[in-house]
Amino acid sequence: MTEKNLIDVLVVGGGISGIQASLDLADSGFKVYLIDKSPAIGGKMSQLDKTFPSNDCSMCIESPKFNECSRHPNITILTYTEVDTVKGKPGNFKVTLKKKPRYVVESKCTGCNICVEYCPVRVPDQYNQNLSTNKAIHIYFSQALPLIPYVDPETCLYLKDGSCSICEGVCKPRAIDLHQEEELIEVEVGAIVLSPGFETFDPKLRGDYGYGIFDNVVTSLDYERILCSTGPYEGTIRRPSDKKHPEKIAWIQCVGSRQIIPGGNSYCSAVCCAYTQKQVILTKDHDAGIDATIFHNDIRAFGKDFERFHQRAENLPDVRFIRSYVAIGKEIPDSKNVTIRYSTVDEGVKEEEFEMVVLSVGLNPPANVQGLATTFGIELTKHGFCKTNPLNPIETTRPGIFISGAFAGPVDIPESVVAASGADALCSQLLSYRRGDLSKERVYPPEKDVSEEELRIGVVTCLCGANIGRVVDTPSVADYAGTLPNVVYSQENIFACSTENAQLIADAIVEHKLNRVVLAACTPRTHEPLFRDTCREAGLNQYFFEFANIREHCSWVHSKDKEGATQKAKDIIRMSVARAEHLEPLQEFQLPVTKVALVIGGGVAGMTSALNMANIGFEVYLLEKTPDLGGMARRIHYTIDGVDVQPFLDDLVRKVYKHPSIHVSLDAIITEASGYVGNFVTKVKSEIGFKEIRHGAVIIATGADEYKPTEYLYGQDDKVMTSLELENRIVRLDEKVLGARSLVMIQCVGCRQTDRNYCSRVCCSQSIKNALKLKDSNPEVDIHILFRDMRTYGFKEDFYREASNRDVKFIRYEPADRPVVESVTEDGQPIIRVTVPDPILGQKIAIDADLLVLAAAIVPSSSSAEMAKLFKVAMNPDGFFQEAHVKLRPVDFAADGVFLCGLAHYPKHLNETISQAYGAAGRAINLLTKDTVTASGAVCEVTEDDCVSCGACITCCTYGAIEFKETPQGKKATVNPILCKGDGLCNAKCPTQAIKLKHYTDDEIFAQIDASVPDADKDSCRGCPGLGRR
Amino acid sequence: METVTPFKEIIDLIKEQGGDAFKYCYQCGLCDVVCPWNRVRTFSMRKLIREATFGLTDIESEDLWRCTTCGKCPQQCPRGVKQIESGVSLRRIASENDVFPGPIAPIRTVSVGLMGEGNPFNEERNKRADWAEGLSVKPFTEGMEVLYFSCCYLSYAPRLKKVAAATVDILKKAGVKFGILGSKESCCGESIRKTGNEELFKKLAKDNIKAFIDSGVKKIVVSSPHSYHTFKNEYPEFMVNFEVVHISRYLQELISSGRLKLTKEYGKKVTYHDPCYAGRHNGIFDEPREVLKGISGVELLEMPDSRENSLCCGGGGGRIWVETPKNERFSDIRLQQAIDVGAEVLVTSCPYCITNFEDSRLSLEDSEALEIKDITEIIQELL
Repeated sequence: MTEKNLIDVLVVGGGISGIQASLDLADSGFKVYLIDKSPAIGGKMSQLDKTFPSNDCSMCIESPKFNECSRHPNITILTYTEVDTVKGKPGNFKVTLKKKPRYVVESKCTGCNICVEYCPVRVPDQYNQNLSTNKAIHIYFSQALPLIPYVDPETCLYLKDGSCSICEGVCKPRAIDLHQEEELIEVEVGAIVLSPGFETFDPKLRGDYGYGIFDNVVTSLDYERILCSTGPYEGTIRRPSDKKHPEKIAWIQCVGSRQIIPGGNSYCSAVCCAYTQKQVILTKDHDAGIDATIFHNDIRAFGKDFERFHQRAENLPDVRFIRSYVAIGKEIPDSKNVTIRYSTVDEGVKEEEFEMVVLSVGLNPPANVQGLATTFGIELTKHGFCKTNPLNPIETTRPGIFISGAFAGPVDIPESVVAASGADALCSQLLSYRRGDLSKERVYPPEKDVSEEELRIGVVTCLCGANIGRVVDTPSVADYAGTLPNVVYSQENIFACSTENAQLIADAIVEHKLNRVVLAACTPRTHEPLFRDTCREAGLNQYFFEFANIREHCSWVHSKDKEGATQKAKDIIRMSVARAEHLEPLQEFQLPVTKVALVIGGGVAGMTSALNMANIGFEVYLLEKTPDLGGMARRIHYTIDGVDVQPFLDDLVRKVYKHPSIHVSLDAIITEASGYVGNFVTKVKSEIGFKEIRHGAVIIATGADEYKPTEYLYGQDDKVMTSLELENRIVRLDEKVLGARSLVMIQCVGCRQTDRNYCSRVCCSQSIKNALKLKDSNPEVDIHILFRDMRTYGFKEDFYREASNRDVKFIRYEPADRPVVESVTEDGQPIIRVTVPDPILGQKIAIDADLLVLAAAIVPSSSSAEMAKLFKVAMNPDGFFQEAHVKLRPVDFAADGVFLCGLAHYPKHLNETISQAYGAAGRAINLLTKDTVTASGAVCEVTEDDCVSCGACITCCTYGAIEFKETPQGKKATVNPILCKGDGLCNAKCPTQAIKLKHYTDDEIFAQIDASVPDADKDSCRGCPGLGRR
Repeated sequence: METVTPFKEIIDLIKEQGGDAFKYCYQCGLCDVVCPWNRVRTFSMRKLIREATFGLTDIESEDLWRCTTCGKCPQQCPRGVKQIESGVSLRRIASENDVFPGPIAPIRTVSVGLMGEGNPFNEERNKRADWAEGLSVKPFTEGMEVLYFSCCYLSYAPRLKKVAAATVDILKKAGVKFGILGSKESCCGESIRKTGNEELFKKLAKDNIKAFIDSGVKKIVVSSPHSYHTFKNEYPEFMVNFEVVHISRYLQELISSGRLKLTKEYGKKVTYHDPCYAGRHNGIFDEPREVLKGISGVELLEMPDSRENSLCCGGGGGRIWVETPKNERFSDIRLQQAIDVGAEVLVTSCPYCITNFEDSRLSLEDSEALEIKDITEIIQELL
């Protein structure tokens, strides 16, 4: 059977990167097919417990995106589907999809799970890393999208020998079809985004560390499932051999990574250091008494906030970081404990017993990557990952096929998400001529007027898997909620946020004629948009929705006191119900969008995003504070993988100047910035005079600077220079540099210290890059690199070994015992003498050098703070800009319509900057393609009669949302609802209560407070001011 | 803390002598972790590597001589430091300067014997075939199926002569047409090369190669995994290629092809020790086990460190000629492992292993009965 479908973009792989790419593409007006070979979307992220460094619950932040995908009119999700053939060219690919039989008719299945209950065959549960069992027919995981079971063809008795078909009989909707066959679907697509993700390294193949032999040796992905409340042990830490709670756990780093032995990977997997630290922190959260030991080589905390995250893990009690690769000694037969042998500098080799061992496994290319490459006609690297354009890491070798996520190499979630938005930007550029042709608008049913109705409140109590259900007695809570005044419907729900369950809530609103909905579950911070949308789906004004947080505020903090937590959950729900009685329907505003972008910063980041947006068809204003475009890249001449940067940069500058839609202002200073998403007004003074720019979006790409060292004789001895200065002198063929006999480089100058508590990420690779360049021109030169941790993450690890191969010597130093640098004269020649202790030798090494190169930190640009003020965006403690959400909104600011990319976000390599620039452009065009933006209804409002024109509200408003307007009664405060963030600060300041915050009115809040004490107890608290005000 | 300066001339010298791969080390410590020395005393290969990297090697240090070339660390080294070849480069420098500290001194005498008589014991060359007296073993002549290369230990050491006898018994029983080179046979040179005496190795290798060619040798059966290793992997450096078979593999071939039939029972619990140079260095793991499992009555037990992880007996890298203090012998640990798994016989297939195991057996308690046998000795009993 074949069908013919015309779509814009096919996204292959439904992990977080594919999901984000689909959402961005669909939002920018393209029709998208999102396919995944698994029975559900979600990818590896759906298996994680929490994510670093914010320790957000992984599923909790990913599953709302499942819903978004599912509800999006421009996204079609096909699971259990693979690509069979790809023909054609960009704009017109002909793709055949192969939909494997899941033996369940998706249109008929209700997800009731009865088939699963009756199925007699138990199979290892893949989603739980085979640590628990499931049935031969089962739903992939509780929040799966689609929430439809699939039959495992390997183990199903019917499919094996026809001996059982119980499921067919018990399925009421007759959804089971054990004769289902593979289905071929033909689609015509304009572009393809590949996001097949990665596989974890399998330590079983070589029997590394006894994995697969010793029960209590698990991989880090196994351990994620063990930690997770939906995992095999429902979130209590147990070990596989006897399901006992281990008190002493070891982590082994670099499993399968950073090695040239057969079966291993020579590259660094880039994410394992941070995820291990996360696991340690979570483990200690679960049980502070657990003793945690991490055996590692370099600690690679090169990402934003990773340095602090590492310190957080390291400073926990009973946590040891030991620098040694290890071997398993033995398994102790009785206890099934495992011993680990490790080396120490002072005390030789030690052997120590652990109750459980976690292998921090690296990242491999996706399964069957060769087949994938053949199908799509793309090339792979020697490591088996996707070969990309070094100056556009989102492009594959085949035009029209883009990639995002870990298929390009090991990356963490934010980078996967950035590349996803970048893939949107590049697809948009390719397909701008057909944008909107196939897409549809979301249509909601008309909103019911409930103003004349009696209150009919529905309460849904979510178990959040085991997150809430394990602590709070949810059946009794749901019963209790049903007894509260005006509550006409009360139900439990295992995962309210799963796509199917959210639909159940929408159905209940209609069926039970609910006009207020209280959801007792998690936090509005992540999930309120989803459930407001659910209300809209059911024709109910979304502000009739109320969240009662019984997870963060209850089950998580009172996990040891089940009874108390249950009582508190009842209290919280009672309060929310009381508040819900007073909720009012609010309307949101639609505002036109000025389809113009402003880009601040004329470096590679700014220029790349400007050019992309201009190519898509938007007017772009590009501001640069200096007299030239180019930024930091002007000082980078070559990359570690051999790209000649200046010709690329010149070409980029030329394209920017030539583009009729890009208006460049040099020597530009922003004098004033006002407005809001879709409608900004920015005043600029530049070489060509004053200009007022009206724009809908702004990208901040203000870059960063190189730290000017005060250490190590910099500025005092001309033989001392920074890495960038060295690079400049290398390309100028400076004889002093090229003729040097001996050269020392010191890493981490100016960062990884108290006042700059971050890693500058690029310096290790920079130093290696320069060392290799120097060795090219003079193989005899002695180069010593003094480092703390070599952070050549990802494929850069190969260059670290290559530097060793070329006789560059590496000496590790500790911050407490830094290198000592002196100017001395030796044989009548002035030289630099560097003395540094070598931990392995137990001796100090003195090196005489002709030149000393300092790998100076990258520091935030001097203009960043000013930009932060002008555009009301946040900065992190280090002075880099703070994105809206470190994992899932990595190029957005919390302030709508403002985006960021490049070094202003955090130090990064050129290719990473380019990827992020496309990401920011993708997010911005997402906004600019819309005709209108929506502003919240929960904003402040002034009752003009009560306003005494004191201006207190105006002064206190952080967002500049309030101003005076002239009225016949004189000056009165007025709120610009677009700028108002609804924080209510002005409410507290107003002496006459003239200003109020809608959705958080006194009535609503006092009702909630009053209900905090059950009616029966109220007599005893007459003195309470809350009661008194009524 | 003492301050030292990198010694460029020494770094270059080490490189010249084959220690170039030292440069790759990133100091992860894994070599120390897996090194058998660290089960009996402290020894840091990592530190040895680090010193060499900066040309700071103490040429008089006994640590230079510790490595038994068992191959555990290079097998797992993530950076490819090639600890054996690199370590030998340091010994070359020591050898060339005639530095053999304390316990290493016997290497000098060994070299004299090898140079003069072609064996490390300085026994007379013309007595090399005495072991075969009364066994009616023929000298090798062109056209014979195989040359049996017994090696110095099986030719001269009393305990190991029994193994040589067992081997010829088996070969005859299987109808193999074979001969020996007798006094024309020299030490294979594998171990002396590991002590850094490259010249002597070359001389021995050339002598053997000449003898092989003169006699028309095409296929060689060897008893020692060390001979196997050097014939197979190192003699090709002289542009010759002989077909070399280790006896444990040859036994398996003879049995599976039906040339050798074992009918008797051997009702004992046995465990097999993988010699480093048969197993880790040359991948012979399964054949000896198949032979043992094929014997009726045998219960084959595995020790904790088996196959790729086999624990070195302590005899490689020239250590067979060096006296190792009693509490520092790996072979003691190995015997204990055999006893702990309940074995009655510790079977192996290497003259160095048998030598060391027999030594260690002397210090066993009376209650701990353990036989040490070459695999051929067991087969011989079943003929």
